[in-house]
Amino acid sequence: MFKKKIRIENAVRKLRFNNDEMTQQQLAELVGVSRQTVVAIEKYKYTPSLDLAFKIALAFDMEIQEVFFINQ
Amino acid sequence: MNIKIRNTFAEITGASLAMIWMWLNLTDASIMTIQSVSQVLAQGIGGSIVLIIALHILFNILSSIVTGQYEEDIDDERDKIFELYALQVSSAIFGISIVAILVLIGWFDLAIITGLIAITFSGFIASIFSLLLKIYLYR
Repeated sequence: MFKKKIRIENAVRKLRFNNDEMTQQQLAELVGVSRQTVVAIEKYKYTPSLDLAFKIALAFDMEIQEVFFINQ
Repeated sequence: MNIKIRNTFAEITGASLAMIWMWLNLTDASIMTIQSVSQVLAQGIGGSIVLIIALHILFNILSSIVTGQYEEDIDDERDKIFELYALQVSSAIFGISIVAILVLIGWFDLAIITGLIAITFSGFIASIFSLLLKIYLYR
């Protein structure tokens, strides 16, 4: 069951717009990464570490599972 | 072009120019002494480091003039993963090159100078390949 590959998706793009249309650069500065990393996360090209995922969730004042979730 | 690609491009340019300079100064390597060959290689390696730093500064100044804003180079976890991939590629290429060079030196009874030049150039080639991989990952 756990050997099956899972796809981790996120709601970062939607949450940014819901937070006064926060820019990718603003989010990047808030969590301490480059804008390119935020772009890659939003496009599901890069899955962040647990540390960064928590930082992003905290930036939106939400629980981690509300920002990052598995699409089966 | 973002700052990562720009800096990687500066490194490729610096390494390539140093390689060309060394190649032009080693055309008579067969009649050169080991001291003079080592001198050219050491100057090439040192020159490449200085050239890369100078190109980094130059490219970033030019970018700031063109775009009118300063772009900070942040090294995050994704960059560290890419660095690791690049390191693996350069280590693999350099390792294979070293073995191949040693085998060829033994097989064809080549001069030590040839081995020295080949090892230095293989290091530069491995570095350029790893930088190309970084550009591919950063694109």
